[in-house]
Amino acid sequence: MTAALLPDAPESPESPAAPSRRTREPRGGRVLGPLLALPGVAWLLLFFVAPLYVVLAVVFGGVDPVFRTVIPVWNPVLWSSDQPIYVLTHIVGSDGIFGPALLRTAVYVFTASCLCLLIAFPIAYYVARLSGRWKGLLLTMLIAPFWISYMMRMLAWVNLLANDGIVNKVISLGGIFPGDTEWLSGKSIVVILGLVYGYVPYMIIPLFAGLDRLPTNLIEGARDLGANRFSAFWRVTWPMSRPVVIASILLTCLPMLGDYFTSDLLSGAPSTSMVGNLINNTVLTPGQTGQAGAFVLLVLLVSLLPMVYYVRSVSRSDGAIG
Amino acid sequence: MEQSPRRAGQPAFDRRALLRNAALLGISVPALSALLQACADSPTGSGKGPGGGTPTEGLKIASPDNPVTWDIADDNQPIADGLQPEKGPLRVYNYADYLGPGVIKAFEEKYGVDVKVSTFNDTDEAITKIRTGAVPFDIYFPSYDQIGRLVTAKLIRPLNHSYIPNLTNVWESFQSPWYDGEARYSVPYSVYTTGVGWRTDKVSEDVAALDNPYDALWNSDYKGMVGIIDDWHTAMAMVALRSGVTDVNSENPADLEVIQTALTELSAATKPKVTVSMYNDLPAGQLGISQMWSGDIVNAQYYLPKGQSADILRYWFPEDGKGLVDNDLMLVLKGGNNPVLAHLFLNHLLDEKTSLKNFGYIGYQPPQNSIDTDSLVADGYLPENLATAAVRKEWFDVAYRLLELTVDNDAAWHQVWQQFKAGA
Repeated sequence: MTAALLPDAPESPESPAAPSRRTREPRGGRVLGPLLALPGVAWLLLFFVAPLYVVLAVVFGGVDPVFRTVIPVWNPVLWSSDQPIYVLTHIVGSDGIFGPALLRTAVYVFTASCLCLLIAFPIAYYVARLSGRWKGLLLTMLIAPFWISYMMRMLAWVNLLANDGIVNKVISLGGIFPGDTEWLSGKSIVVILGLVYGYVPYMIIPLFAGLDRLPTNLIEGARDLGANRFSAFWRVTWPMSRPVVIASILLTCLPMLGDYFTSDLLSGAPSTSMVGNLINNTVLTPGQTGQAGAFVLLVLLVSLLPMVYYVRSVSRSDGAIG
Repeated sequence: MEQSPRRAGQPAFDRRALLRNAALLGISVPALSALLQACADSPTGSGKGPGGGTPTEGLKIASPDNPVTWDIADDNQPIADGLQPEKGPLRVYNYADYLGPGVIKAFEEKYGVDVKVSTFNDTDEAITKIRTGAVPFDIYFPSYDQIGRLVTAKLIRPLNHSYIPNLTNVWESFQSPWYDGEARYSVPYSVYTTGVGWRTDKVSEDVAALDNPYDALWNSDYKGMVGIIDDWHTAMAMVALRSGVTDVNSENPADLEVIQTALTELSAATKPKVTVSMYNDLPAGQLGISQMWSGDIVNAQYYLPKGQSADILRYWFPEDGKGLVDNDLMLVLKGGNNPVLAHLFLNHLLDEKTSLKNFGYIGYQPPQNSIDTDSLVADGYLPENLATAAVRKEWFDVAYRLLELTVDNDAAWHQVWQQFKAGA
């Protein structure tokens, strides 16, 4: 960065014309920096880079001739792209067997994310800015869902939505209305609402953290300069909260993309299969494990795009502040 | 699956394939050129047919018309006679709820050992874990359609019948079955039929009286309350029978097309739930009608809500036996540490009293000579309305059997199932 800003600067750090960052570092920074980064780097190597390489070795690997289980091929020179090409050529067209599930995933995740935002933003805004002395208690209550595992919460819904479950009993109002809706019988809306219910806490918390830190003096300034509440929100609060909104959408979108048990538990019908179900179905099916890996890579690539956008938008806004 | 040219004895990779891989991966140009250089310098790798896999010449497929007696390899001999049982713990690998706790306890007390049961959801998962060898399981409970692969890969141990005298208690056809002549590697565990189960309070028509009772699963009146067994072969074979295709292991692409079309129609008509938990979902009311194993409909009566009579449950299987019949096996795994104890456990489960006790718990009938199929209702093993869930010995002579498929055919069947499960 320094070199880019000062294209003609001599390279020597000792040069007085180009005081490099190094000269400003505190003593020991040369050792401390890498030392502090070491656990993070080791973590990334061990739990991201290495597993990703295993996935690649499986995707581009071979199949046992007898059991048709996967044989990872570690040497990239021997990789075969049969499996990923099979997946890629079966997404659209007459052979497009995976297309509907991928499209369904996009629609489910998009709808669920929008609903999550509609629910989470007002809640986070209220807790962060308007709740006053109740903030601590409300925050604790917001964190409470994290104490129960996602799967347990979904299993609870299976009981609630069962034909003779509480939901139908409440709807029937003691027998006045039919109340015989079969919620768990392959309904897209149930899966989407399941996703919303499951992931909305993951959106509220980062939204709260972001909204809580917004500089109040800018909003007060807007009000002092004549903006009404709505105008101050729309022209000051919303633009400032955009990065955190994007971050929280990402935080919920990414796990939703790989989710399969919401659909499994709340529907179980192929008509609501998502890409996570494709992965789950193929990973242990003889001869198809490589395809599961290809789906994993597909999800990874798709989720990289918004991630890059987020990183860019954050670095831009950081630059603007700086 | 299409064979790539490399398998015809050519080098294990070529530059075009490598470029394609690299493009998929997004490897940058400098890295790629370095890699190509490395390829040019290195000798050809001994790549093992990646992608589709090489077909196996040696895999024998057993069928009733083509009985197979598996060889016993020199390096995989049965255990010697008269050995003392090991100290355990005996590790049993089985489906959940498929072994009576009382039966296990009796064995533990008799031999003073621990029995540890681990469970799997389906046999594909089980095979994957057994092959890793991570846990030294002693006994495995698959269906007969895996035995060829298990013997070929030497994952199971040939049996020494001197430890299993109770084998004579089972139906004669199972003492030297077509899938394992002389019962060299396996003993039978349970027999079952695959038919249709339903609740009379959800399904008003008499399914058994229909011209083609399988059609009820395609009836859009039952949309949202239909269940299909989450096992590719069992489910697709039922679809084949419904469509008049009686070769449930067909290698004919036209038959697979018929199955595929019927599965698509099924999806559109009833949005079926694909599961193996119908023994719970049917009594709980989430399903009204379902493809079912006979043992599961027997179990279903114990999962009904309190106060709900079991009278509402029904089961249909063709009276002439021309449906799907199956049997599960007990095998001794080669990777286990307790082969003697494992033989004794097999013998224990083939004991007349023990197997009846086990039947009472799991709902799946053992092929014991002592069981009189006609008296299962009178003896209290089956309620009257589920008398059709009794499995008759003579059906095994006429029914359709799911066989192990050749590698390529197996892939073709799996592909149709994959499409169905993807909701396409």
